[in-house]
Amino acid sequence: MSSHLHSPSVAALLAALWLAACSSGSGTGLSSLSPAARLGERLFEDTALSASGQQSCATCHVARFAFAENPGLDGPDRGSPVPLGGPEMDRPGFRNTPSLKYVSYTPAFHFEADGTPVGGFFRDGRAASLAEQAQQPFLTSFEMANADAAAVLDKLKTRPYFAEFVAFYGAQAGRDPQIALARIGAAIAAYELEDEDFHPFSSKYDYWRRGRAALSAQELEGLRLFNDPTKGNCAACHPSTSADGVTPPLFTDFTYDNLGLPRNAAIAANRDEEAPEYTPANGTDGVHRYYDLGLCGPFRTDLAQRSDLCGAFKVPSLRNAALTAPYFHNGAFATLAEAIRFYVRRDTDPAQWYPAAAHASEIVKFDDLPAAFGGHFVVDLDVAGSDAGYRGNVNTVEVPYDRRLGDSPALNDEEIAKVVAFVCTLTDGYDPDHPEDYAALLPAQCPQSAADSIP
Amino acid sequence: MTHRLASFALVFSALVGCAARADESAPPAASAEARAQSLERKIETLSRELDALKNELKQVENQNEALAAQQQQQAVLAQQQSAVQNGGGPWDRLSLWGYGEVNYYHPQHRPEDTQADLARAVFGIGYRFGERTVFNSEYEVEHAVSSADDPGEFEVEQFWVDHRFAGWGAVKAGLFLMPFGLLNEHHEPTNYYGVQRNFVETLIIPSTWREGGVGLHGDTVSGLGWDLGLTTGFDLSKYELNPETPLYGRASELKEASPLQATHQELALANAQHLAQYLALNYHGLPGFLFGAAVFTGNAGRVDRSAHLPDSRLTLWEAHARWRPGRADFAAVFARGTLGDTAATNALNPGASNPLPGSFFGYYLQGAYDVWRRDQTRLAPFLRWERYNVGASYAGLAAGFAAVPAGFPQPYDRVWTYGMNFYLNPHVVFKADYQSFQNNADFTRFDLGVGLNF
Repeated sequence: MSSHLHSPSVAALLAALWLAACSSGSGTGLSSLSPAARLGERLFEDTALSASGQQSCATCHVARFAFAENPGLDGPDRGSPVPLGGPEMDRPGFRNTPSLKYVSYTPAFHFEADGTPVGGFFRDGRAASLAEQAQQPFLTSFEMANADAAAVLDKLKTRPYFAEFVAFYGAQAGRDPQIALARIGAAIAAYELEDEDFHPFSSKYDYWRRGRAALSAQELEGLRLFNDPTKGNCAACHPSTSADGVTPPLFTDFTYDNLGLPRNAAIAANRDEEAPEYTPANGTDGVHRYYDLGLCGPFRTDLAQRSDLCGAFKVPSLRNAALTAPYFHNGAFATLAEAIRFYVRRDTDPAQWYPAAAHASEIVKFDDLPAAFGGHFVVDLDVAGSDAGYRGNVNTVEVPYDRRLGDSPALNDEEIAKVVAFVCTLTDGYDPDHPEDYAALLPAQCPQSAADSIP
Repeated sequence: MTHRLASFALVFSALVGCAARADESAPPAASAEARAQSLERKIETLSRELDALKNELKQVENQNEALAAQQQQQAVLAQQQSAVQNGGGPWDRLSLWGYGEVNYYHPQHRPEDTQADLARAVFGIGYRFGERTVFNSEYEVEHAVSSADDPGEFEVEQFWVDHRFAGWGAVKAGLFLMPFGLLNEHHEPTNYYGVQRNFVETLIIPSTWREGGVGLHGDTVSGLGWDLGLTTGFDLSKYELNPETPLYGRASELKEASPLQATHQELALANAQHLAQYLALNYHGLPGFLFGAAVFTGNAGRVDRSAHLPDSRLTLWEAHARWRPGRADFAAVFARGTLGDTAATNALNPGASNPLPGSFFGYYLQGAYDVWRRDQTRLAPFLRWERYNVGASYAGLAAGFAAVPAGFPQPYDRVWTYGMNFYLNPHVVFKADYQSFQNNADFTRFDLGVGLNF
């Protein structure tokens, strides 16, 4: 058998078949994608697989926004921090759409030896694999809103690539709804894994690391502040170095953190009595009907008893962050500068972020977390030390959120601007032969000087 | 020595006898005075000779005690290798040995960090294939429990074959201990003073340091041991420039600060693109003395292979000496390492909390003395002063940026260690010590330990 396979004629035939298969998928000629990935690309972009007929993966994961949502008022979500979906495309979701760029580097969810939770897909890591993650929006009532896998298969059967799907995955995948959905997930995962668009490592920062671009003084200073463990300390969770010595830095360590973000009233689910009826009513403190608690629920269910993990969300990659506004799981902030300002002033100036309490000088910190987990922490701005002795899930230990009332923030506004300038260099699409074109790729929040430096 | 003492006794008794007879014969006064002076000179001469002989006798006693101490240690080694040396059948060809230690650490200023630890439990298996060929291996469990949820490790520490091809030399191949310093090849707890191994031979020489490869070694008749070889080396891609939290906050975590501890490969799918070379020489031709030095050099690659960076060459060298006159035991080790072309790496990571050092070094002086000894039981207080600096120099740091951020523990220190080893027998030792850190004062601690070796 092996001798047959090694004969030149058979090898040539196989090569020809492979080339033919490759060339059939793309109108532009040869594609480097496998047949599964090419199917995945079509599934990813096909709105006909949703109940509304208007939503696909690509609706919320837009290529030009680094496969995150279009945050504009003219986008499908009309400026909402969470996507809209459902049969009528009017049902708001619960979390800000994460970027899919570099998502295939995410390890499966696990706990490290020291107990640190790491990896997994979705912001709460509840999906074990990219393929599993890709299946879920098809059945989620406020997303693609199919009633069940059979409804997905019924729609799939109407699609022009259905025959190709069955030819590749087998007849049973065209008959059994569960198998069909699983294969749809596998195909989309293959697309996200194989297509270079999802992980081009083509940012200005990447070219600088390869010696083919120069960072401006402002960007370089921003990187220093980003790394400095006494200033930004961003690299502690968003490493600017390769994790394995081979893959370029991913700017996430895939761990989880509880930042004590302010509650975002722009999310319909946070409006208590006015929340959509499909909002899980997990609030038991008499303050809010619903809390998004990340690792401990309500969308993830296996860690519901781990109260120490309530409020923790996965650290996202900062690659292309300039394109993926708004920021954090609840889209609380519209710009990078505001997000960084929250990091450094959360504790020094809580009135800037959190609502007032009963007394005029009191502020309710961490108001999107039940008091049982360290939320609704009341501090008195007029009483020095009223924020001391905090015991709860919110990270108040690491730089830069290790400060107290009246302390100096770890970064001033000028330094924040430098860090933003550096983060902007993580935007993919830099062309070392035409560095002048880079400015056009960058959103308004990036300083124009970010594109000024010439190699 | 016995002959010389007997001769001295004969001469002395002859002289004394002669003097007695002279008194009986009552000679003239002048002549008697001259004879008296002559006798005084002779007695003076004899007195000096007697002092010289006493000193010589003392030296011989010291040498005997040094030899006795060496014999105790050799007895342990001999027992470990008895099957290898004397065996006949398959079971006689097999040898089994082990060692381990249980320790207690109490940081004086941070009692909340007090720990008790089964630091290591090790068993060794050897097999003699013939008169010339021997296999040795060691398996170690560190920190009692090794699992995904526990801090322990299970590791193969040695796994090598040795073949003596001629009287003057042998070849070894596999995973073997590197012949560096006084401790790395003899790291059993009965072989060092103090609960923990010294910092120089932990942070600079990364004991227990082993590499995979081949080596040639032997001893000359004059007492010069030599060992050279080609092995795997270090892999800088394992170096973490931006750890999430400071790498160490107490003395027991200091190993994390060592660039070589962070990048050694232990033959676990080791990157073997670049092989390293080593040479070690040890002179043990004088009883009670050991002098030696070793050098290791090899390409350690890059911290980040995905970036445009030059490879970095690692060179580590050390010199050591040990002198065991009688009940005393003096030791000194100096070690220094350099990493080349680190500037580009550090420039690529401005503000990193753990930049890549260009050089690191350490040295120590140690003295111990058996204050009490009965049969095989002995008590040996010791004193050690050491200095280490795992970040002696850096290249390519951002302007005005310190290598170690304010508030982080410093990667250098001077440490006094006072303590004692109580050997119940050559195989079992109880230890206690107090370590005083000059810079990282919070690390100062009191330690207790029990170690064994069979």
